[in-house]
Amino acid sequence: MSGASNNTGRRLKRLSFGFVLLACLGLLFTDIEVVTSEPWGELARIGIGLLTPDFLATEELGKALLNTLAFALVGVVIGNGAGFLLALVFHWPGVRQTCAFVRAIHEIFWALLFLQVFGLSTLTGVLAIALPYTGIFAKVYAEILEESDQRPWRCLPPATGWLSGFVYARLPRAFQNLKHYSLYRLECAIRSSAVLGFIGLPTLGFHLETAFNQGLYSQAAALLYLFFLMVASIRLWMRLPLLPVYLLAAIGWLPWSLHFSSELWVHFVTWDLVPAPLRGEWGSQTLSSLGRWLTPLGEHALLGAANTLILSLVALVGSGLLALGLFPLVSRLFFRLPGRSLGNALLIVLRTIPELILAFVFLLVLGPSMLPAILALALHNGAIIAHLIGRQSDSLKPLLPGPGSGRYFYEVLPRIYRPFLAFLFYRWEVIMRETAILGILGVYTLGFYIDSAFEALRFDQAFLLILMTALLNLCIDALSRALRRRLRLADTPQQVNP
Amino acid sequence: MVCTPLIQLREEQVGYGPDPVLRDLDLSIAAGEKVALIGESGVGKTTLLKRLYSLVCEHAALCPQQLGLVPELSVYHNIFMGRLDQHGFWYNLLNLVRPRRRDREAIFNLAAELGLEPQLDSSVDQLSGGQRQRVALGRALYRASPIFIGDEPVSAVDEFQAERLLALINRRHETVVVALHDQAAALQHFDRLIGLRDGKIVLDAPSAELSLADLARVYEQ
Amino acid sequence: MFFRRFLPLLLCLSLNGHAATFTFTAIPDQDETLLRTRFGQVADYLSQRLGTDVAYVPVKSYAAAVGAFRNNQVQLAWFGGLSGVRARQLVPASEAIAQGEEDRSFQTYFIANTRTGLEPTEDLSTLSGDLSFAFGSKGSTSGRLMPEFHLRQQLSKAPQDWFHRVGFSGDHSRTIALVQSGAYDLGAVNFKVWERELKEGRIDTDKVKVIWKTPPYPDYQWTIRGDVDATWGEGFKAKVTRALLEMDDPALLAAFPRSGFIPARNADYQPIEAVARELGLVD
Repeated sequence: MSGASNNTGRRLKRLSFGFVLLACLGLLFTDIEVVTSEPWGELARIGIGLLTPDFLATEELGKALLNTLAFALVGVVIGNGAGFLLALVFHWPGVRQTCAFVRAIHEIFWALLFLQVFGLSTLTGVLAIALPYTGIFAKVYAEILEESDQRPWRCLPPATGWLSGFVYARLPRAFQNLKHYSLYRLECAIRSSAVLGFIGLPTLGFHLETAFNQGLYSQAAALLYLFFLMVASIRLWMRLPLLPVYLLAAIGWLPWSLHFSSELWVHFVTWDLVPAPLRGEWGSQTLSSLGRWLTPLGEHALLGAANTLILSLVALVGSGLLALGLFPLVSRLFFRLPGRSLGNALLIVLRTIPELILAFVFLLVLGPSMLPAILALALHNGAIIAHLIGRQSDSLKPLLPGPGSGRYFYEVLPRIYRPFLAFLFYRWEVIMRETAILGILGVYTLGFYIDSAFEALRFDQAFLLILMTALLNLCIDALSRALRRRLRLADTPQQVNP
Repeated sequence: MVCTPLIQLREEQVGYGPDPVLRDLDLSIAAGEKVALIGESGVGKTTLLKRLYSLVCEHAALCPQQLGLVPELSVYHNIFMGRLDQHGFWYNLLNLVRPRRRDREAIFNLAAELGLEPQLDSSVDQLSGGQRQRVALGRALYRASPIFIGDEPVSAVDEFQAERLLALINRRHETVVVALHDQAAALQHFDRLIGLRDGKIVLDAPSAELSLADLARVYEQ
Repeated sequence: MFFRRFLPLLLCLSLNGHAATFTFTAIPDQDETLLRTRFGQVADYLSQRLGTDVAYVPVKSYAAAVGAFRNNQVQLAWFGGLSGVRARQLVPASEAIAQGEEDRSFQTYFIANTRTGLEPTEDLSTLSGDLSFAFGSKGSTSGRLMPEFHLRQQLSKAPQDWFHRVGFSGDHSRTIALVQSGAYDLGAVNFKVWERELKEGRIDTDKVKVIWKTPPYPDYQWTIRGDVDATWGEGFKAKVTRALLEMDDPALLAAFPRSGFIPARNADYQPIEAVARELGLVD
């Protein structure tokens, strides 16, 4: 009996070091050139802006704040409900793949797709959040349920109905994690909702992007501070019994008028999304023009996929290392309250600043390359994972006196490592999706090409590239599932055939 | 006494992966037997019990060493889970919110026998180790099945209580198979003892023919 | 399935909520702050001149603006050269009706960080391939289309294949900030944004300077849907055109900002369309 195959800790370690090694290899092929520049003028302007926030420069600020909350709330409630139901049947054929597909697409792209059909309406905003969030909730809920304590489930009388067993033996064990995760998703939805402002929905991001792009840093700082405040205060005002009240208020607040033409919708699906050479009558030229259409697209897809994979892998490992270093800052097991609040504030700032802004600041300092992208993505996602596992570590009951390295390495790390990996693998997808916004760095990822296709109103190309991204996502999803399965030792003894 | 055995293993290899933990296992247990498993820790008692349970789980109650309780739920609900298969989903769901008097009474009586009636509405995460073990035992007893399979079901309670609980288990079930580390209790309460060592059965005899010294040999190096 | 459930609901909504309000959008080429305040005044002006309700919908991305125009959420739009061409392709019978006085001969400036030692030049092919280049937004005429066109003409290569690195800053002000800091060596900027930032003292001429200017080209224009007469009555399009051309209140014109509007036709944008087609940006 070999020791390695029978030691969960060792398997986890091997896997982790494998990933770090891969990331280092990836770094060798990544372009991380540093351009020395003179960023100080711009950085000083940003600094001054941060010190002198201007809360009066933005028109209709209150409306933008409420819109941001309302879109997020409605979107996340729909996504949560649908995702929970799908999580229960996540093993059905097709469900996992469909979920991977809908979440492979950035909220902004969903919004741009819906925009073509529903116009710039509430429905566009709500669907752009609800749809990808359904896919996310389904996957993460399914995994939380899978990762949660299975022992009560195994002790049930064998003839117990599935649903009965679920509400007694599984749901209560997973409930805290599900609740924490939903709450965290609400925070994400607020971010998504704000970011949808970048394309014109009337949320905070609408004004933030303008202020930031035009270098109006005092206005941008004020908006960022409000944004932080909104995210930081969620735990104060979000109470389960109050949720229906908030939800009704949000639905009442949002304007639901709609411009919709079924003609346009049919045209969009049967014409715009169809590859250009295949539209209309097919002739003898169709095949060759399809070839001409596909060739540059295929190049983009391959180059984009390669860049996306390398960038996301390096950023992923960076996020993981950062998260393991940062999570004690917000864990009850390591810090008392005043210190923990500081840690929380730091993580909120890191995870709430839109990556675009982080990337811009690093770009100023380091010049254009993958490096600003890696840093921005690692900081953002590292802070998110740190927050999630910090929360989870709160529910552990430590035996070793702490806080100290003994407690960290012997008690907490081994117990949070599996959920940590689950979150990390999920973040991999998110990082791939987020690379879409990095055109500013001259890094050509799949998302860059999708964004370009949307900008050129070439929905057929965008759609094909999205399918490509979804495919990549499915591969990563399958890989993470295989890894997770390998990491779980069998628990039910079986008859062994020698 | 000739009857078809309730459980029968023939030259079976049992394990979790490719390497068996228990080898060439020949074992049969008849209905009505009260069997205790002894042996050093790690020798494969739990593995054997899980294997046995998987063969008769329809008619057996399991009381595992790791308890498998739901700490978020009350003692009442944890015990109720022993009969979760007897009711439909809506009945069970309603019971989570508002238990029926009949169930409540039945479980109250059982909890009283286990000394748990003051804690009936506490959630399990508030209980001590010994109390939790009694909850797990209560869940198995509430199942009221003919066979009881227990893995150290009384290891966390004091000697006096252990005696009483083992007697209760034996009284409520026709067939009992438990792993025990308390050799004296094994001799006293069970009529057949099986000793495991090095992945094999090294002792299988009626307890009437055995002494503590015989049992000690199972543990000797 | 999702849509099957929602579709009937939506159809009801669309029947009841027919747009009787004439709606327009505008993405100004500089200063996107206080859009509602500034263009709200324009809406009031149009409403008064047209004798019907007029609303302004703020939109940020070119793609979103064209999307809104296409599904008739807005009937009139202040588009850039390229987005206007795209919109008119997607919405048959839509027309360019007016352009800014400045838009007849718009320009893009190529700017360089002084550290590169580059001097104003006539020949872009003297630019070293080791440099990095920043465009503005991907869908912008002045930030992307025209500069890319001239680069391709003079380099006989795609900029991506010539320069060490090509990025899209997303905005003219960003391009200036990035070239000024040296993060990018070169950039392409809308000349009006450059001149405004120069006037506001946000540009350090020791760090960044103009090295090349594109020949003039037509840019921003008002485009209107072809079916407005059917909804708001015969002659409505002409009324809108007149209202735009006669807009002379400096406070209103400052929103764009233009000194005034002059007539325009679809044919005026033929050069833009040809260029876009050559670059493969429209079909």
